Amino acid sequence: MTTFTEGNLQIAFPAGAVVQKFDDRSHGLSHCMKAVDFIVELKDRYLFIEIKDPQHPESRREERDEWAKKFLACSLDEDLKYKYRDSFLYEWACGKVDKPIHYYVLVALDTLDGAELIARTDALKRIIPLDGPPAGRWTKKVVDGCAVFNIATWNEKLRGFPVTRLPGVGRDNAGGVR
Amino acid sequence: MSLTRIQCERFTAFEKIAVDLSPGINVFVGANGTGKTHLMKLAYAACDVSKTKLGFLEKLVRVFLPSGRRLGRLVKRQPGRNRGIAEVHQGDRKIRASFSTLATKPESGKVAGASEWATRPIESVYIPVKEMLASAPGFRSMYAQRELHFEEVYADILDRAYRPPLRGPADKSRRRLLDSLQEAMAGRVTVKEEEFFLSDPQGNLEFTLLAEGMRKLGLLWILIQNGTLLDGSVLFWDEPETNLNPRMFKALIEILLELQRQGVQVFLATHDYVILKEFDLQKKPADKIAYHSLFRDGGREIKWQGAGRYLDIHPNAIAETFADLYDREVKRTIGGGSR
Repeated sequence: MTTFTEGNLQIAFPAGAVVQKFDDRSHGLSHCMKAVDFIVELKDRYLFIEIKDPQHPESRREERDEWAKKFLACSLDEDLKYKYRDSFLYEWACGKVDKPIHYYVLVALDTLDGAELIARTDALKRIIPLDGPPAGRWTKKVVDGCAVFNIATWNEKLRGFPVTRLPGVGRDNAGGVR
Repeated sequence: MSLTRIQCERFTAFEKIAVDLSPGINVFVGANGTGKTHLMKLAYAACDVSKTKLGFLEKLVRVFLPSGRRLGRLVKRQPGRNRGIAEVHQGDRKIRASFSTLATKPESGKVAGASEWATRPIESVYIPVKEMLASAPGFRSMYAQRELHFEEVYADILDRAYRPPLRGPADKSRRRLLDSLQEAMAGRVTVKEEEFFLSDPQGNLEFTLLAEGMRKLGLLWILIQNGTLLDGSVLFWDEPETNLNPRMFKALIEILLELQRQGVQVFLATHDYVILKEFDLQKKPADKIAYHSLFRDGGREIKWQGAGRYLDIHPNAIAETFADLYDREVKRTIGGGSR
């Protein structure tokens, strides 16, 4: 099992998974292309993973209004859309779009309920877009599936990739956010 | 053949609108006051007069129930004298009503296409928002004798519900639908002296003691059992979600999709996300579903935007509401506002 850290969240990947921290310096085009946090190659598919942590310690009390704006539906949906599309294009140019791609987003906010998560999932499917044009002209899929989770639903549905919040830098350090 | 188009000009809330219909399921979404119910009532009135031979304008007045039963009040409210037009199409056939603001009685307006329209009667049923079965005993006779201020859809639904069962055993597909409903209701519906009961091995429970949502499923059971909802018929259902626990929606949508597969054209108006999502999740490739989004444009007129897929519904007032809930939750949790 390999573990990676994004902010103060740790995600574990099973043995055999090839994990690439995608948005680091090796990307090389961060001045013009957005990037998801991780690209994971499994036997039968790729996972594009993006982690959003509104409860990160950076969320200081005095900056919380500004901080929160990044996670409102409109800006979050747009950010997730472009991160996926740019990452897809990057990988396509690398000749690495040879398996189905699934896009999983973790919004680590405990208070999001099932209805709110499914609404963001639908919005993402709508704008990537998952289904292509109504006339059915696309012969290939740009994404085979996508979903938005909080930590609890992520760990429930994606048991092979458990996420944990690292001790010592939790919500109490995030300016008292609860 | 199913209904293919509804078209109006200066009719009730609409300045000008044309809605192309699916022969399968038609789901109307939109904020309050965007005319979802009006379009369904108009189409229902057209279906109903094809069987009853009642005048189209008379039926519109009975179904919409304008104040003083004045036909002219169905013309869109604008300064000056105007003329409203309402059409329902079935392929190349159509029935068309036109009337002016000054029309006081149905006879003051004009109807075109009525005789050809009546050559192919369309069986139809309109399930209104308010449940009526529990209030059924005596209502029909009183409605026939008195000037009750109820839109006629409430009396019509009881007429359909009181029809006796079809002769002979139900065919396999109808039996399957009835079984699904019986499972959801944990019983079957019986009628004794105009009173409806839910019957199970423990006994008979009168509808007045039954949860209102369950009565709706009972009504659907009756309409399938008595053959009102058969191939070629049209079902209009205004806000099926009312008083029904969302847990029941899965079974309900399964039944509506199955009715569509059996040739029933279905119209729904809904405000409910779960209803839309159930259609999206349960739809099979051969199912025919059209989503009709009604919304007010910049000039505040009502417009129509059709979509064949759930994700393509735009504007989607329900999804916008969920985005708003999500935003408020984010703000409450991390936005520095008070809890």
